[in-house]
Amino acid sequence: MIPALAHIGEAPPRRRGSVRSLARRTADAIGHAVAEVLENDELASGPGLMQALDPRFKLVSIVAFAVTASFVHSLPVLIALVLATMALAAASSVSVTSFAGKVWSSAGLFALLVCAPSATAWITPGAVLVPLGPASITAPGLLIASRLIARVIAGAGFGLLVIWTTRWTDVLRALSSLGVPDLVVATLAMTQKQIMSLLRTVENMHLARESRMLSTGSATENRGWVVDRMAFVARRSMKTADDVYDAMLARGYSGAMPSLIDLRATARDWAWMAAGVTACVLVLGIDRMVFPT
Amino acid sequence: MTAEFVLTGASHSYGAGICALDGIDLTVEPGEHVAVVGANGSGKSTLLKMLDGLAFCTTGTIATAGRPLTEEALEDPAFRREFRSRVGFVFQDADVQLFCNTAFDELAFGPLQLGLDHDEVRTRVAEVAASLRIERLLDRAPYTLSGGEKKRVAIASVLTMRPRVLLMDEPTNALDPRSQVWLLDVLDEWKRAGRTVVIATHDLSAAAESCERMIVLSEEHRIVADGPPEEVLAQRDLLLSVNLVHEHAHRHGADRHVHPHAHEHEHA
Repeated sequence: MIPALAHIGEAPPRRRGSVRSLARRTADAIGHAVAEVLENDELASGPGLMQALDPRFKLVSIVAFAVTASFVHSLPVLIALVLATMALAAASSVSVTSFAGKVWSSAGLFALLVCAPSATAWITPGAVLVPLGPASITAPGLLIASRLIARVIAGAGFGLLVIWTTRWTDVLRALSSLGVPDLVVATLAMTQKQIMSLLRTVENMHLARESRMLSTGSATENRGWVVDRMAFVARRSMKTADDVYDAMLARGYSGAMPSLIDLRATARDWAWMAAGVTACVLVLGIDRMVFPT
Repeated sequence: MTAEFVLTGASHSYGAGICALDGIDLTVEPGEHVAVVGANGSGKSTLLKMLDGLAFCTTGTIATAGRPLTEEALEDPAFRREFRSRVGFVFQDADVQLFCNTAFDELAFGPLQLGLDHDEVRTRVAEVAASLRIERLLDRAPYTLSGGEKKRVAIASVLTMRPRVLLMDEPTNALDPRSQVWLLDVLDEWKRAGRTVVIATHDLSAAAESCERMIVLSEEHRIVADGPPEEVLAQRDLLLSVNLVHEHAHRHGADRHVHPHAHEHEHA
């Protein structure tokens, strides 16, 4: 953690029964988001199995993992893939509890909401496990929903793990090296920088308001203020975009974004790739032969 | 020797006729260190942008190294390349200037735009990083740097282009005292190297220390003084009239004491 920013994101002590204002809650949430980005950079720079890999190989692995997971049909194999992502997290110094919590509460919950109808007799008829009228949960429906959820959790988990264990700057370098147009990579880089900069602005605006308020304000007042500030931030981001463009012109920008890519694959990266390909083939083989549909 | 910049009756207006500069006549000779001082909104930043070909005259003319500096002229790739490699601009807000992925990329951006060989780019980045003592920052994303570190990287990002002319907007802004001293040393080094420097600043003491010529812009966006800093700063009434200093009253025991007072930092 960068010492000067160490305080960001720390939730202030809260009195029992106290009502925190919208300004305070928003500022805390923003501070927490900024701190998370910085902590991720710290984690990605630390020791660990996946941190040591070339980012290009990791990005290619995401595609290979997603394709493999989408071809797997058996629930046990999909669960094995989920467990594999957790094992990789542990080997990469990532807290398994935190990793599982974040993946399951975001991707898992989203998949559950999307898949829930397919578990019912209305979409998938079959033997009823939980009778709820037309929304009764059937055995084949539950299997289909479970497969989809496990597939999403496995894929999203692996993707998140790669992002957590790779510094954002290396992700962008890898994208550039893999042939993604320079303009796209530069836009991604600037977008992230602007998001961070605007987050700080919004956080300071909320804190400035908090410091001058005697009450938490009504919901209507808060909504009006938030909308007003959103307009302000939008205008400011446009002005900043103009200024950044001027700064680029001042250093000779003429439309191209050449870069110095200094990524070199090592034996470890090729071993990772070989192991990954072997694992994908094995997973698909087991899925087809041990658990035929 | 051809003047670095010649402005003749140069004026600039924004949008709906909001005047930023009015009838500026100014010549900057090679090797000169010039400080442009003035109150907020007097047109200092606009003047630097015009010198860097980022804003253009609405009336009057501006020439650089004997060639007109216009939007059309900068469309010529050969002139643009020559001009951008000769003139560097350090923006007031380092956050604006640092738009790349890492500090290393920031330093490499300019030389890469000039089409230099990759080995040459790496050499320049290493040299400038060592001279400004920012090697340990090269791998960091700009948004993770402190204010002083950002300023150093912003200056380094311009120096890798090895410009002959440096334009600096509020260079001491957001710098702690140690970094301010460091910057004054850097300016001194540039003076010895014969580089031309134009700085826009509120910091009268830094301007006087680093420049041999001081230009004062009035709140009416015109040049009202041009000369050695010691002569300009001696004109107390002039500085009061352009809002660079103000009467400051305070008490020493029972006695009320009044004297001129300057603010050395840009107000946000």
